[in-house]
Amino acid sequence: MSELAARSIQSGLDKSSARSTGVGGDVERRWDRVDVDPITQQVIGGALHAIAAEMAELLYRMAYSSIMRESRDIGAGLVDFHGRQLCESDSTPMHCGSLPAYVKGIQRKHQGRYAPGDVVLHNHPYHGASHSPDYGVLIPIFSGEQHIGFAGCTGHMVDIGAASPGFSVDVPDFWAEGQVVNAIKIYDRGVRNDAVWSLIMDNVRTPEANTGDLEAMIACCRLGVQRFELLADRYGVDTVMSAAEDWMDYAERMMRSRIEALPDGIYQAPVGWLEDDGKNFGQPLRVATRVEVDGSDIYVDLTGSNDQVETGFNCPFEGSVLPTANFAVRALLLDEALPEGAGVPQNDGVFRPIHVIAPEGSIFNPEYPHGCEARFTQINRIPDQVLQALSGVRPEQVTAGNSANVSCFAYSGKGGQGADDYWVIIEVNEGSYGGRFGQDGIDAIDTLMANTRNNPVEELELSAPLLCERYELRDESPAAGRWRGGLGATKRWRFLEDTNISSTGDNRSDDPPGGIFGGHDGFGGSIVLNPGQPGEQVLPAKISNAQLKAGDRLEIRLVCGGGYGNPVERDPGAVFDDILDGLLSEEEARQHYGVVLLPDRSGIDSAATRSLREKLMEKLGKDPGAAG
Amino acid sequence: MLRAGIDIGGTFTDLVMWDDDGGQPVIHKLPSTPDDPAVAGIEGLKALLKNAGRDAAELDFLCHGTTVATNILLEKNGADVGMITTQGFRDVLHIGRKNRPLNFSHAQDVPRQSQPLVKRRNRIPVAERIRGPDGSVETPLDEQAVVRAVRALRERDVDAIAVCCLMSFLNPVHELRIREIVEREFPGAYLSVSHQVSPLYREYERFSTTALNAYVGPRTARYLDRFAASLGELGVNAGLNLMTSAGGMVPASEARQSPVSLLLSGPVGALILGIQVGRQVGHPSVITLDVGGTSADIGVAPDGDLRMKHLLDTRVGDYDAMMPMVDIDTIGAGGGSLAFIDEGGMFRVGPRSAGARPGPACYGQGGIEPTVTDAMVELGWFREIALEESGLTIDPQLARRAIQQHIAGPLGLEVTEAAAGIYRIAVNNMVEAIRVNSVSKGYDPRDFALVAEGGAGAAFAVYAARELAIPLVIVPVSPGVGAAAGLLCTDTKYEYRNTLWQKLDDADNPSVHQRIEASYIALERHALTQLKSSGVSEERTSLRFMAECRYAGQGYELTVEVPAPPVDESWIARVVEAFHRAHERAYLRRFEDKPVMIINVGLAAIGAVTALRSDTIAAGSQHPEPSARIDQRTVSFLDGHGSRPFEARFYRRAALKAGNVLAGPAVIEQPDTTTVLPPGSTARVDALGNLIITFVEPQDE
Repeated sequence: MSELAARSIQSGLDKSSARSTGVGGDVERRWDRVDVDPITQQVIGGALHAIAAEMAELLYRMAYSSIMRESRDIGAGLVDFHGRQLCESDSTPMHCGSLPAYVKGIQRKHQGRYAPGDVVLHNHPYHGASHSPDYGVLIPIFSGEQHIGFAGCTGHMVDIGAASPGFSVDVPDFWAEGQVVNAIKIYDRGVRNDAVWSLIMDNVRTPEANTGDLEAMIACCRLGVQRFELLADRYGVDTVMSAAEDWMDYAERMMRSRIEALPDGIYQAPVGWLEDDGKNFGQPLRVATRVEVDGSDIYVDLTGSNDQVETGFNCPFEGSVLPTANFAVRALLLDEALPEGAGVPQNDGVFRPIHVIAPEGSIFNPEYPHGCEARFTQINRIPDQVLQALSGVRPEQVTAGNSANVSCFAYSGKGGQGADDYWVIIEVNEGSYGGRFGQDGIDAIDTLMANTRNNPVEELELSAPLLCERYELRDESPAAGRWRGGLGATKRWRFLEDTNISSTGDNRSDDPPGGIFGGHDGFGGSIVLNPGQPGEQVLPAKISNAQLKAGDRLEIRLVCGGGYGNPVERDPGAVFDDILDGLLSEEEARQHYGVVLLPDRSGIDSAATRSLREKLMEKLGKDPGAAG
Repeated sequence: MLRAGIDIGGTFTDLVMWDDDGGQPVIHKLPSTPDDPAVAGIEGLKALLKNAGRDAAELDFLCHGTTVATNILLEKNGADVGMITTQGFRDVLHIGRKNRPLNFSHAQDVPRQSQPLVKRRNRIPVAERIRGPDGSVETPLDEQAVVRAVRALRERDVDAIAVCCLMSFLNPVHELRIREIVEREFPGAYLSVSHQVSPLYREYERFSTTALNAYVGPRTARYLDRFAASLGELGVNAGLNLMTSAGGMVPASEARQSPVSLLLSGPVGALILGIQVGRQVGHPSVITLDVGGTSADIGVAPDGDLRMKHLLDTRVGDYDAMMPMVDIDTIGAGGGSLAFIDEGGMFRVGPRSAGARPGPACYGQGGIEPTVTDAMVELGWFREIALEESGLTIDPQLARRAIQQHIAGPLGLEVTEAAAGIYRIAVNNMVEAIRVNSVSKGYDPRDFALVAEGGAGAAFAVYAARELAIPLVIVPVSPGVGAAAGLLCTDTKYEYRNTLWQKLDDADNPSVHQRIEASYIALERHALTQLKSSGVSEERTSLRFMAECRYAGQGYELTVEVPAPPVDESWIARVVEAFHRAHERAYLRRFEDKPVMIINVGLAAIGAVTALRSDTIAAGSQHPEPSARIDQRTVSFLDGHGSRPFEARFYRRAALKAGNVLAGPAVIEQPDTTTVLPPGSTARVDALGNLIITFVEPQDE
């Protein structure tokens, strides 16, 4: 079990290299900042929210690939010409807040040279893209002659012509991770550049899906432009943009007031470990996180994290690390499920008081041209570490350790039953949450920066030569705690044809999700080929283009979160429920929770439970480490 | 034919009686009896018959809209459900689509896990497996395991059993066998079988729908039995019909089997009335705005057609239900919505509501926070005595004090300006919801009429319409009982769907034609049998064939109406073209070169109800008679970003005659609603008594 996480350090951080996750309020304007009455303010806020929602809805429904439409691995919204977010869709958090970096990336080529009808496509991970499969589409918005902003969206393409289908971790540099589209106008003044379009689509394995997805992304942005223009016609561009700025200022005020409520100081998370870089197996990588609260500003310092690695297991700084730090702070301090966070829109204002320090040359700020596609697993550790760092000052808002990874698989083959030509399926597997104050950890669910949907088994089996033999909760008992940890899922595929697979992820085998305040640690995942059969083989979490045969089976067990609080304090009724639901044995109930059932198992033996719990507590008192 | 509609909502039970042979409709409204909604329904019907001087035996037709199934779900007091499911898939309901409801939250609840429809202990897996895409048996059913499972569930005393096998929509053989075993081993159990409830692919959604059906099934069935029995005791001979979420009527015997189809029964009636009124007025494309105390229901019916919700949106409360549902959107905006300043200084209205208790501040029932109703009182639209008949009195001073203290003071505004702001924000919330439900789905609001319904719809409709550039507002004769009136003009309708998964790129292949045709014919046969057994005569029967299509490779379907079989090359060409067009409308693009797939075939079998006779009211001149004018006052209307006082006339609706023209600023009172006519708008009373409101000029704010 990890020690009580937070401890304050006296010396301050070196903030000279800190980058705010936001752009800020003091910038050049191409509109007059006017006073907007509180009512119009509200009306325009509602309209902006509706525009982003509408853009995302269109994209989900029109998109081709399952990763966009089912997993919803997309983001959409409006930004001003600085890249400041005016509004953003409620889709996958990883995409939320990455648009500003894309804007910065395309501005360096096209600033001052946009025209109505332009459509810019961009995926350069060293110029703002979240990673290269996340295409960004941006369409400029004009007010008269003046370029004032963009309608933009980002979305994960199923294949972008990397060395192996879908993706792979073991690559020498970012060119091997797929074609780079470096801020190219695929439409110039309304005319499509067919040569570029063809070049892009001729170099991917799934041109049908990519074409459909890209068309959907363009339609999504066009809708955003249209809706913004209607709004500007109605209220005037000065009023709309001023109202948008007022909403940013509001969000900034709300975020700052929450940060200010925390005691100033530096809070350090215990060092975390990642299994490996996908090539040098057995060599764990270090994740170090400190958080400094300084008045109404907050700093997430990743100094001390591992040096960049030679594979694709690095994280683009601008497009991935900045939005992640932002998520980490916002989700903790302005929780959408609580009244304090519910009405605060996600825009540049929320980003402004949040700053990140990540030394160049580290895994969180790699140097060009290191590979950096497989970044989600490391990224997702940042919010988990921020929770651990701040657990001492926000004990009732943090969670115990979460799976905080992403297990992502690509399956592919060259034609087969029910499939078209070259098929590639990307499957993002879920994790689980740690226990929370007052609630158990959430089972089998995407955690933190991930929030995608699974593909229906019935859809995959109709589209590809796969058969799912099992998809349910893991057989092990959840990590004990007053509020227990979440359970991961287990999934077993049988391949009906020869199939290529790649994967990225982290089974947390070196560093399972920690229990907190006396809760037990969670436990890691595993990937096993042909379990229980001759030739059974344990595979690593990162697989680069392995060839499986027809009839092979692959069992994926996903990571389980840690427990929160002393298990002996768990409501005995909840323990009994877990026994009835097959999640816990009677023996475990006795051993971890001090709960004893009646001889006929019809209920709890209160007297025996009381006395056993007293004994366990006494033992804990003598040996405080025993709970974990 | 003597017809009655009974709409039982959470607060009020509304009834309407109509005689096809003449006379005015008879209306009755009484408080609902939530402990047993049938009590108010039966009491109301007794009163209705008495008021009309008719005998229960004379009733020929009875249709009921109910929130019973919905409330079981919202109050979470449904059945103990057991589930028999495919080995390896015990936790489909628990895992769901493995996404979180909220992005930025660690504290969120995930109801499918914390309050499951079927507890894990009662989800029993058995060995069996159907394989796609041909529906062959991969693993035979372990019948002994089924027997053990059913006996275990019987011993645990569950009320209902859901049967949920993977891929059952391709081949139901295992589900059917399990059904037989349950019927033999546990005859009293309420049965819900996935391929029968919703034979569509997507296992989580299908299992969830099936579990929901089992969850609400036993209590809904008991309620329907009780209601039918009480009707019998009352001497009613007409059969009981229920409004479904799909906007059709089914007999109680059918509703008992599939109560999950009643989950949206409540709000549909108002949309159906809106369509009926739109047709009468000659403006069939309607948007209905049905506003009550806490929420507003918005329905959009282009050309008077009921549009169904997209699969992605068919949720009820916290749970997914893959059932056809009329596309009605409910938002938390009504007369009782509260106005407040949040801690960051933003001025907000709703979705929090003052509810029935304490209600708006002006009612003096203890409410101190200002509501939208208080704002309208401050603006002067509701006279102190306007609600006398409902037993409520309005105290404008209380409204004023609440607005001053909570809004005007903190924002440094005049009270009237603050009131105008509250009202404007509330209207805007409705406007955004209408926009999302029309514009964003490819419909231009300028082609529609807005029909105001519910107690408060007519107080918002004119401003909302103007904001959306909707040219016409219709206020029906009795908008307050719109949902009950809608029940009188609802067709009998059965809807069936089945997953087919057929590409259409091989247009001249006879085996493809046969496959498609056979699937439609199977649905048709089933539907015609059902209609016949509900007593619908052949000449009233019509069939609508549907296909849910997408481009091969896409993930979500759009529904298109298709020609009746036979299926041949030209049939396929027409379907493909209809889909291209639907895609273009929804997503602004068509892809001629991409193959189209039929994912699901669908059929609506309709037994048409006799249209309601259109009765005219007494005609008058352009000028209302002096007796119709009941007051003249200085009241405030929106102006620019604030408000401005005007001299407004107050009229009594009942005294208006066909042909009367009323120019705003004016207020029209009737017992069940108040119509607000701002400056620049004009209401004309049509021959049937509807108010038809148009705008003199688009007022630019």
